[in-house]
Amino acid sequence: MKLVSMLLVAALLLAGGTLLLASPGQEPTGPVELIQWTHEDPNRTPLEEKWIAEFQQQNPNVTVTRETSPSGKIQEKVLTAFAAMKGPDIFNMEAEDEWQYIVGERVAPVDLDAIGYSSYKALQNDYLPVTFDGALYEGKIYGLPLEITNWCIYLNDKYYREVGLDPARDYPKTWEQMITVAEKLTLREGEVIKRRGFDFRYPYYLSFWVPMANQLGGKVLSADGKSAAVNSSAWIKLLQYMADWGPNGRNLGSPTYTNARKTFNRDDGSVAMCISGLYQYDRIKAENEAFLPEVSIVPYPRFKDAVNKNGSAVYGHYYMVNASSSPAAQLWAWKLTMYFSSHVEEMLDQIGLTIPSKKLLETAVYKNKKFADVFIEDMATAKFVMTHEKGPQIQDVLKEMVEGVMLSNVAPAEAARRGQEKIDDILRQ
Amino acid sequence: MAFQRRQYWGWIFVLPAVLFFALFSYFPIINSFIASFHAKDILSLKAPKFIGFQNYIYIFTSKDFLNSIKATLYFAVGCFIPLVSVSLFMATIVVSLRRFPKVQNVFKMIYYSPAIVSGVVSATIWLLIFDPRGLANQWLNFLANNPTPVDFKWLALPAMARLSTIIIYFWKYVGYFVIIYFAGLVSIPTSLYEVAEIDGASAWKKFWRITVPLLKPTIEFVLIVAFIQCIRTFSIQYVFVQSGSPREPINVVSLNIYTTAMQYHSLGRSTAMSVSLFCFILIFTIVQLRIYRSERVSYV
Repeated sequence: MKLVSMLLVAALLLAGGTLLLASPGQEPTGPVELIQWTHEDPNRTPLEEKWIAEFQQQNPNVTVTRETSPSGKIQEKVLTAFAAMKGPDIFNMEAEDEWQYIVGERVAPVDLDAIGYSSYKALQNDYLPVTFDGALYEGKIYGLPLEITNWCIYLNDKYYREVGLDPARDYPKTWEQMITVAEKLTLREGEVIKRRGFDFRYPYYLSFWVPMANQLGGKVLSADGKSAAVNSSAWIKLLQYMADWGPNGRNLGSPTYTNARKTFNRDDGSVAMCISGLYQYDRIKAENEAFLPEVSIVPYPRFKDAVNKNGSAVYGHYYMVNASSSPAAQLWAWKLTMYFSSHVEEMLDQIGLTIPSKKLLETAVYKNKKFADVFIEDMATAKFVMTHEKGPQIQDVLKEMVEGVMLSNVAPAEAARRGQEKIDDILRQ
Repeated sequence: MAFQRRQYWGWIFVLPAVLFFALFSYFPIINSFIASFHAKDILSLKAPKFIGFQNYIYIFTSKDFLNSIKATLYFAVGCFIPLVSVSLFMATIVVSLRRFPKVQNVFKMIYYSPAIVSGVVSATIWLLIFDPRGLANQWLNFLANNPTPVDFKWLALPAMARLSTIIIYFWKYVGYFVIIYFAGLVSIPTSLYEVAEIDGASAWKKFWRITVPLLKPTIEFVLIVAFIQCIRTFSIQYVFVQSGSPREPINVVSLNIYTTAMQYHSLGRSTAMSVSLFCFILIFTIVQLRIYRSERVSYV
């Protein structure tokens, strides 16, 4: 009996000790293995690997395994893993995809003690106001920024000059001008496009397309958020614009072509303009440095009769921590992600990723970064990308609307009506 | 006693396979049946909620699922008929080369090689061919002698997207069925053809009176397998949709199952679709087996 009591006490002490060791805010020294899943970014990989090595050296009890997936595949991979309760400790995706993990309580709020802050307000105060818009939910912050980005238009100056345009003066300021300029830059052989003047960034409809609707006064959801609002004149006008753009209209581009952003870097005569973030400039530098002098970047166009002068959406990637990870893993995961996020100058200088901390805006790195001002000025009028529990599903409906008018000859009014019906159905579920 | 011992060993030998199938096939199938009667968000930590037949009522009244049935039938019919007929024709050509075994082997290898390439890789290769600047447009413009190139919009127009997926599937699987038919054809005794020749039968008559009746078990197998494969098609349509093709015309049931689960997070509805597809395939297979069993022929 005595032996049993002693064993029981020992077990309780051990359990209590483990809990104490693993409680958030403390610094457990036992071995911790962290798994990080992130999207492929050849420029960021060496930097993060270097920081992981430094972090492991400073904290020998922590081992980090970093795994990458293509940016279009990581959503599926993370979702499948979380569905099976096997998600990584740290992951990142676009904010609009991460939001459902926050609402679904699958990710943990930022551990303020672990990152050395007294409150969420204090954390927010160190960054530009827009920074945490995609991670702030019911008063808590659920992610630390990997990048906060908006998109502008990249021009290949050489192709402008080839068709007698001056890139500094003739770049498109409005979406109406975009059609005219793109038409001049497009090269065709019969019906077959050899060079696109410009093309959209198709799967990311919440980031590039919803802001265009916003410019015309359109909104995705009603003011109370309970019903869709895509069956309006603004959306029908925008759908008509896309129909005119597509292969059955003026034949300027299509979702079926290779992503314009990818081929732009090669300067291989396939596209003259594309949409992207500041990071694209450093990717061109890494992939095809000789092309860099021919690249210029201009603000996101606005419609001529725009009622709102917003630019493209601001979106972010946040490092998030799995709420199912052990308390010790969560603690060290926040410490590691804060270590990543604290390298704001290196991120901007070497790979063009902006973490808009107030400290960064005062640095020479920011002030000397070519084209950073174009993005930051456009960001001032931009709204954060729509974050909604059903955001990815709504984006899927927007995709169907665009494909319908561009490829399947669906009338814009009919596409808007169908979109309204489908989004309402999603919201009802 | 010895017989009983042999039986005992037989059970031991098949046990691993039975356990494997029970764990990796039967358990998920039973689980799917159960899940189809529940509402469950794939990402939610909440327990599934029993909702009876609501998932089935929803999918069978949803335009989206009815469109998927239509898209699947378009694809299955468009692919199934050429697959089973052309592969038989190609197999007879290969068999006729029996006096040139090396040439015969080369043909078999050429026909079969696409079948070992994964669906995703096949679709990716063909995406390059169907690109506006790709070989498909170039060949057709050359054959049609078009003065200025026409873009046939292989990936963009609904009808062309359907046709493109059928072409890829046909290319990928025709060789597989050629090999199956080939195995059936070579098992027909040559003496029957020799006798028919002595009786003055034409090649056409020999094909219809000897080859087709004796090949019935193989034809039956090919019909069932080809149809099931066509109905279950997924990867080609998935790659097309990922590459920007319009989803509606090629939104086959398997793709809809995937989208409903992975994009719309509705595990209950996606399993209801899976169960419906499973039942359809099961009924089709039983009916087809019954029809063919009553028509077996033997000349031996």
